[in-house]
Amino acid sequence: MFQKILIANRGEIAVRIIRACREMGILSVAVYSEADRDALHTQLADEAVCIGKAASSDSYLNMERILSAAIATKAQAIHPGFGFLSENEHFADMCENCGIVFIGPSGSLIGKMGNKSQARKTMMEAGVPVVPGTKEPVFTPEEGAKIAAEIGYPVMIKASSGGGGKGMRIAIDPENFETNFKLAQQESVNSFGDDTMYIEKYIEEPRHIEFQILADKFGNVIQLGERDCSIQRRHQKMIEESPCAVMDEELRKRMGDTAVLAAKAANYENAGTIEFLLDKHKNFYFMEMNTRIQVEHPVTEMVTGIDLVKEQIRIAAGEHLRIRQEDVVLRGHAIECRINAENPEKNFMPCPGTIEELHFPGGNGVRIESALYNGYTIPAYYDSMVAKVIVHGENRMDAIRKMQSALGEVVVEGIVTNLDFEYDILNHPVFVSGKTNTHFIPDYFE
Amino acid sequence: MLKFKKTNYIAVQSAEPQVPEGLWIKCEACGELLYKEDVKANRYVCYKCGKYFRLTTRKRLRMVADKGSYEKWEEGIENENPLDYPDYQEKIASLKERLKIDEAVTCGKCTIHGEEAVVCVCDGRFLMGSMGYVVGEKITRAVERATKERLPVIIFTCSGGARMQEGMVSLMQMAKTSAALKRHSEAGLLYISVLTDPTTGGVTASFAMLGDIILAEPGALVGFAGPRVIEQTIRQKLPEGFQRAEFLVEHGLIDDIVEREELKDTLAKLIVMHRPVKKTEALIPNRRKEVEKEKIQENVTAWDRVLRARDAARPVAMDYIQEIFTDFMEFHGDRHSGDDGAVVGGIAYLDGCPVTVIGQQKGKNTKENLVRNFGMMSPEGYRKALRLMKQAEKFNRPIICFVDTPGAFCGMEAEERGQGEAIARNLFEMSDLTVPVLSIVIGEGGSGGALALAVGNEVWMMENATYTILSPEGFASILWKDASKAPKAAEVMRVTAKDLKELGIIEKIISEPEPANPQNVEGIAAEMQEEIRRFLHKYLDMGKEELANQRYERFRRM
Repeated sequence: MFQKILIANRGEIAVRIIRACREMGILSVAVYSEADRDALHTQLADEAVCIGKAASSDSYLNMERILSAAIATKAQAIHPGFGFLSENEHFADMCENCGIVFIGPSGSLIGKMGNKSQARKTMMEAGVPVVPGTKEPVFTPEEGAKIAAEIGYPVMIKASSGGGGKGMRIAIDPENFETNFKLAQQESVNSFGDDTMYIEKYIEEPRHIEFQILADKFGNVIQLGERDCSIQRRHQKMIEESPCAVMDEELRKRMGDTAVLAAKAANYENAGTIEFLLDKHKNFYFMEMNTRIQVEHPVTEMVTGIDLVKEQIRIAAGEHLRIRQEDVVLRGHAIECRINAENPEKNFMPCPGTIEELHFPGGNGVRIESALYNGYTIPAYYDSMVAKVIVHGENRMDAIRKMQSALGEVVVEGIVTNLDFEYDILNHPVFVSGKTNTHFIPDYFE
Repeated sequence: MLKFKKTNYIAVQSAEPQVPEGLWIKCEACGELLYKEDVKANRYVCYKCGKYFRLTTRKRLRMVADKGSYEKWEEGIENENPLDYPDYQEKIASLKERLKIDEAVTCGKCTIHGEEAVVCVCDGRFLMGSMGYVVGEKITRAVERATKERLPVIIFTCSGGARMQEGMVSLMQMAKTSAALKRHSEAGLLYISVLTDPTTGGVTASFAMLGDIILAEPGALVGFAGPRVIEQTIRQKLPEGFQRAEFLVEHGLIDDIVEREELKDTLAKLIVMHRPVKKTEALIPNRRKEVEKEKIQENVTAWDRVLRARDAARPVAMDYIQEIFTDFMEFHGDRHSGDDGAVVGGIAYLDGCPVTVIGQQKGKNTKENLVRNFGMMSPEGYRKALRLMKQAEKFNRPIICFVDTPGAFCGMEAEERGQGEAIARNLFEMSDLTVPVLSIVIGEGGSGGALALAVGNEVWMMENATYTILSPEGFASILWKDASKAPKAAEVMRVTAKDLKELGIIEKIISEPEPANPQNVEGIAAEMQEEIRRFLHKYLDMGKEELANQRYERFRRM
């Protein structure tokens, strides 16, 4: 096992990793930028090294300085957290060449999964379903209809230069394909002067479902159930939960097996996530693989009782997975809300500032992940997420009530947050009913 | 600070990470630690601050020569140690052994994107790349062999100068290498020097500065006296950037700075552009059978033509150059004192024919005009133009000039550096150039400042261009003591294309259906291109003497 780990990150995830280190008896080294001198992770770690100016490119993205800090403090491993260098192929390679363990998969694996078309190809070869469609441009309705028939209706007709819904049409069946193709193409020509079109499968009422994976160096791969992350605003997840409201044992087994298959196909190692789209007919399609710990990992931890960060460290240290697939049981229901320093009234503009008063809820089944403290000034240079509230209840309804209660107790004075927005989502009848999909926020809140 | 209890762990003894040697280097310029592999991928340029690191001979050749094409010329020339300098030969022997090169320069032949050239590379690790007998002899022999085999020469310089340990024998190498290059040049062959950091002393004062084209790497220090010597002598601190490549361009000493990424492509392109071409290969046949009659708008007053010629929206030289020619490569400087932004010059292709293009360049806004000086050239501008014309003559390239100036720059500095002499010298030297010269007045043809680029075999004007002895305002105020009578003066002075064609001052008018503007420049340029093609078809057939004579007679008649 490692004696000392450097955490190449900041904010709540750095704090989360430092805590795991402390619990495992591992010394922790924080790195911080000039703007983060007073940050919680800087103060909490056993050692802290300043690695440069406030801008991320001079500090948390500066690979050379982070590696120098690791070498100087004799850290044996680097945990990259999420964001920043966590999915940087080159950084993982550099760590390896320097004899420092990168807590995550190898550089080549990050590269392989980071390249979308290559990842799609790997998955197709392994027999993992992907969203049907072509990467070939189409110019005439005749060509398009042929491809649509192969893919199966309904299909989405998309303009290559499209955006903001322009040049985009759905064809339900072959009868209305030609009309819709021509309309979309005409729209694209008018708006963008481009008649290049693509045809892909239209996913009806898609849910964003992802499976947590753990894989050790010895080829053992397990999945820790799913997370439903359909509540998204412009691809930013806001609320995540586990299990998914419409999941049944049979589907979980199918999707879970597929996720394990996908991870094995990629020769995956360490913690990772396989993202799927699940349509209303319970068809699911591989989207992408995330090769890092994720923001929403606590919901999985709450329902499985497994500490993912500690598992990451153990795997990186070369230990065998101690949990077998049959040991993984999902108990109860967990929900996570992300609290961001941003103003929903002003188009979610980031609102950094000084915390004048802070109160977080507690109690049975309530967990807070945050790097905030009273008097802390949030710097303007980084991500606006400042806290995560996670609850664990007996069932979904119990968890929703617990979250409503918990959010109602949160006091963050001095900055504007999205707390009320999160609160409104929780109280929305559609959310409560569990009949959500990725169109939920655009449909009801925009 | 928050008071956290930090856990005191009992350290379990486990291995500290073993970082392999040689993975990292430090940039001396910015102090940043760099990952060596990334520096290599970035062609040995610091990826944090852009500092160029010095290259070994092997790395340089790998960067420039086609793979496996380098044929090293082993001469086996032995060092003589003329001063019997103690330990000198032992030092040389140990350097040879360690660096795996036999002296501070490596000479040989290779292809660059398929183009054959003699390439010599100086290596700063070998006694600071200093030039002793062996270096001088190797370069001389390489240049002589290039002359014999009619090959271009490219030398990458990197040197502290003459080699002290060899005394006067070393100094003589400067004369010897220069003499060999003179013969190479007289044979009409191309020599490109690429100055790398650092190039000083006797190398700068010989082969480094003798290139037909001199390029430098960004930030390279190039000078005769080294900066430390100068500082000690004058007891002053030298300014930031003194003697650096950018300084050299600004002071007109080199043609351009070239980045490593572009280096190989640039060299190959330059070699190709200097290859002699037959007329049949050079030009595509005329596209039109008939020469269209010059259609000129009637009923436009001379003063209106003056205003049109001066219009701020009127296309400038670079607009035409970009439309008419391809692969334009700009060369800077007069090799003496400066690079005049009021004139641009370089080489380009018209069809397959390499041409030298020179244009007086006005700015389109105030910011541009800070550099372009409103198209008013200084002595260094005329000297740059002449340098490029002489270069064109050496390589048998036709010269196309675009004239657009209110007049030569009227200022103290211009007088101090000999504005009158510079203009006179151009008239003198242009008169007997042995290549075709065409000048086109595209806007204002302001007096002697315009004429210094218009001693051509033919001179053309655009319909709304003017060509004047002085401005109509000046004419009116001298003769009538009233500058406001300029419109009338314009009429009297006969400054329009039509007038001057009638007077036999010009040969051709390029018509403008509408006064030239950014919207119609493409069409006008196409017309101009066709006419230039016709010009070249006619004049490329003429012999050198015939061209000079024709030009002589043209002005003799006036």
